[in-house]
Amino acid sequence: MTTKKSKLFYFIPYSMWILLFVIAPILLIIYQSFFDVSGHFTFANYQTYFSSGTYLQMTISSVWYAFLITLFTFLVSYPTAYLLSKTKHKQLWLLLIILPTWINLLLKAYAFIGIFSSNGNVNGFLEFIGIGSKQILFTDVSFLFVATYIEIPFMILPIFNAVEEINPSYISASTDLGANAWQTFRRVIFPLTLNGVKSGVQAVFIPSLSLFMLTRLIGGNRVITLGTAIEQHFLVTQNWGMGSTIGVVLIAAMVIIMLLTGEKKKRGRKMK
Amino acid sequence: MKKTGLKWSNLYLILVFAILYIPIFYLIYYSFNEGGTMNSFTGFTWDHYKEVFSDTRLLVIVLDTLLVALLSSLIATFIGTMGALGIYYTKKRPMRNALLSVNNVLMVSPDVIIGASFLVFFTFLGIGLGFGSVLMSHVAFSIPIVVLMVLPKLKEMNDSMISAAHDLGANNWQVLSRVILPTILPGILAGYFMAFTYSLDDFAVTFFVTGNGFSTLSVEIYSRARQGVSLSINALSALMFVFALTLVIGYYFIMQHNINKKKKQRKLAEIEAVKMR
Amino acid sequence: MPNQSIITFKDVVKEYDDQPILNHVDFEIEKGKFYTLLGPSGCGKTTILRLIAGFTDATSGEIYLDGKKVNDIPANKRKVNTVFQDYALFPHMNVFDNVAFGLSIKKMAQQKIVEKVKEVLKMVQLSGYENREISEMSGGQRQRVAIARALANEPEVLLLDEPLSALDLKLRTEMQYELRALQRRLGITFIFVTHDQEEALAMSDEIFVINKGHIVQSGTPVDIYDEPINRFVADFIGESNIVKGNMMDDYRVKFVGKEFECVDAGMRENEAVEIVLRPEDLEITAVEKGKLKVKVDTQLFRGVHYEIVCSDTDQNEWVIHSTKKAKIGAEVGLYFNPEDIHVMRFNETEEEFDARLEAYEEE
Repeated sequence: MTTKKSKLFYFIPYSMWILLFVIAPILLIIYQSFFDVSGHFTFANYQTYFSSGTYLQMTISSVWYAFLITLFTFLVSYPTAYLLSKTKHKQLWLLLIILPTWINLLLKAYAFIGIFSSNGNVNGFLEFIGIGSKQILFTDVSFLFVATYIEIPFMILPIFNAVEEINPSYISASTDLGANAWQTFRRVIFPLTLNGVKSGVQAVFIPSLSLFMLTRLIGGNRVITLGTAIEQHFLVTQNWGMGSTIGVVLIAAMVIIMLLTGEKKKRGRKMK
Repeated sequence: MKKTGLKWSNLYLILVFAILYIPIFYLIYYSFNEGGTMNSFTGFTWDHYKEVFSDTRLLVIVLDTLLVALLSSLIATFIGTMGALGIYYTKKRPMRNALLSVNNVLMVSPDVIIGASFLVFFTFLGIGLGFGSVLMSHVAFSIPIVVLMVLPKLKEMNDSMISAAHDLGANNWQVLSRVILPTILPGILAGYFMAFTYSLDDFAVTFFVTGNGFSTLSVEIYSRARQGVSLSINALSALMFVFALTLVIGYYFIMQHNINKKKKQRKLAEIEAVKMR
Repeated sequence: MPNQSIITFKDVVKEYDDQPILNHVDFEIEKGKFYTLLGPSGCGKTTILRLIAGFTDATSGEIYLDGKKVNDIPANKRKVNTVFQDYALFPHMNVFDNVAFGLSIKKMAQQKIVEKVKEVLKMVQLSGYENREISEMSGGQRQRVAIARALANEPEVLLLDEPLSALDLKLRTEMQYELRALQRRLGITFIFVTHDQEEALAMSDEIFVINKGHIVQSGTPVDIYDEPINRFVADFIGESNIVKGNMMDDYRVKFVGKEFECVDAGMRENEAVEIVLRPEDLEITAVEKGKLKVKVDTQLFRGVHYEIVCSDTDQNEWVIHSTKKAKIGAEVGLYFNPEDIHVMRFNETEEEFDARLEAYEEE
């Protein structure tokens, strides 16, 4: 049939893209992870990774920071998303939440450098209320703050969508059956927004594992994430093999997160 | 009781909005500072804006960034729309799901991985790093966004409309150009727009695959920011904020124009959901 | 006589954005009966239901539930439960958890909950479906789960918001019987909202016909069908032939240029009125035997009867339901009995209507 032919035609450029830019790079990075600096085949990279304390510790701290960022982001975003969905002109407010994400990430990071710097406004304020000037920039706290700041909109959106999708008659039904506002929230609204939370976690946790310019600009290299390490190996020390090895580990972590937070195929739940 | 509860929630929202916008207004505020630092405002000046417009290197980079964004989103929209049509026509469920999963790989991959793997890929093929490699990378990471924007539109499309077009004597090409494409146009436009902003916003991938002599705005800001404070960057930020604002407003109106009032809400939400990775 | 009314509306007004949805509504609902709120979409019937349930507040007026004013009592504290139009079954819970929801909110002991759920599921003929997911249930089954969930709370009043509208015809008829039987068995008050007049006639003890935020007429299905108060009710409930006429005297009415004997009285002399004749009350006979002379225009076979459309010399259209076939183009006579003529006055309120009926029926 003719549609078969046209279908094939549609697929040519798209499948080229899949082959060249999705499958090939992943295979190449796995391939690359088995070579050392001088181009010899080796398992040494993995050996180094799994036996050296530095790498393991870095992985753990990277996961820990990503976890903290995700947690804080969630704690700020859930109430925001929920309250937003109750406002008038919520679409406009939502757009205003999104707007900062359209401003280049680096510019925002750059603004925080100014705000947090030793003679910046925050310190001015601290001095004013009598606490005195503190080193804020290049601390874990500032890194966590800025990272959370950057990820908030990405968590708000899926949760907001999930809240919006809830059929209002579920809430009426819950009240009708005797539940008060808190019971309705805990037993109906929150479970129904769980998928939004999951995609929010996905959208925040994975990028948080691999943030790298923030670690340098705000964290002052005190925090080293897997992302920083990859960037170091590829662009500074030119040890691509080791960089790729960390990349493979990161990909594995990503797959695990996807499986953990992915929508479990509940029996026919989506069936209409 | 109810009244105060409402007030607390408003206060909370105001606080969140304030935190989201403080850094941006902070940058803009100091872009007018006569003194050279972001600490104390000593007087009003346009100097930093003049500086931006006299900095030819910076202007070239801005143009390059726009060029990459325009070209990459155009190509990505073309390939992505075809891909979406291909996926739409794939009726076998496992195949379709597999395609969708592959499509989403780049959506969920961290930028660092995309950047590093593309770097390995380009080096492996012996492609020089520069405009070409950056353009290709931007096309590559924009395609799945376009697919995700166009697919829902295709799914919404009434199947019998296509049968009707065939029934009325249209051939495949006519069905595509006169029925399908006009129907999914809002999705295509949204996809183009998203791809464009993704490209403008990208730092990590470009940082990996660019070579000497070619730079985009984010990479340039990164290197300048590391060297210390320069208020011309603030001026540039202010300009970019205005630009982004214009884009957002433009985008908002495109969406409003294309989607009737009832559907608007849903669509916007969907689009935004895709913007996050 | 003790006050048997379980719900009372006193001069209730509901406005949305200054648009009146309900206009000074008064009514009483008695315990243990099956009520239907019938009207076209947007007439305010669902708003009445939502006011009873407590999902929305009245702009003014008073609402009493079981003798207590409930205007300020939230929905979760009212002893009424609702079966929603879209069922509103929680998608993240299975059948058991849905039905048990209200009971577990009340912190009932688990053992008791299990028993109660079993009991109500049996009542709606869904025994053994406890562990099914909602998505695995068919439309009719979901409907039953929704009813079971509402009944588990043992409400005094069950509110049903067009619950059958999503079902196909056969299932709908089946559910009509079941709901009616269920109401009789439980002996609680059902308030059923629908725009389907057949459904209303088939199920109810009492029907409230609602239009534009007013209760236009209330009464038993037979009363409303036989004595529609005005053109709206006559048109909305059943099919009607409506023509203009004049009341000559008590029990004498004139329409289509002829005077007829009728059973209505208590109106002014020569008052302009409207006449309703139901299609099934008209009988086709020979021209000389008929009270009216008409010409057969079209005819449709409807299964149980023929629907025959005729016209008289005044160009009035007459629809007749007959089991016998007519001949298109033929001149025929129409015969009807005096009690088949229903006379409706213009702008008569329900109170006036009832008063007039009482006055001349006592004679």
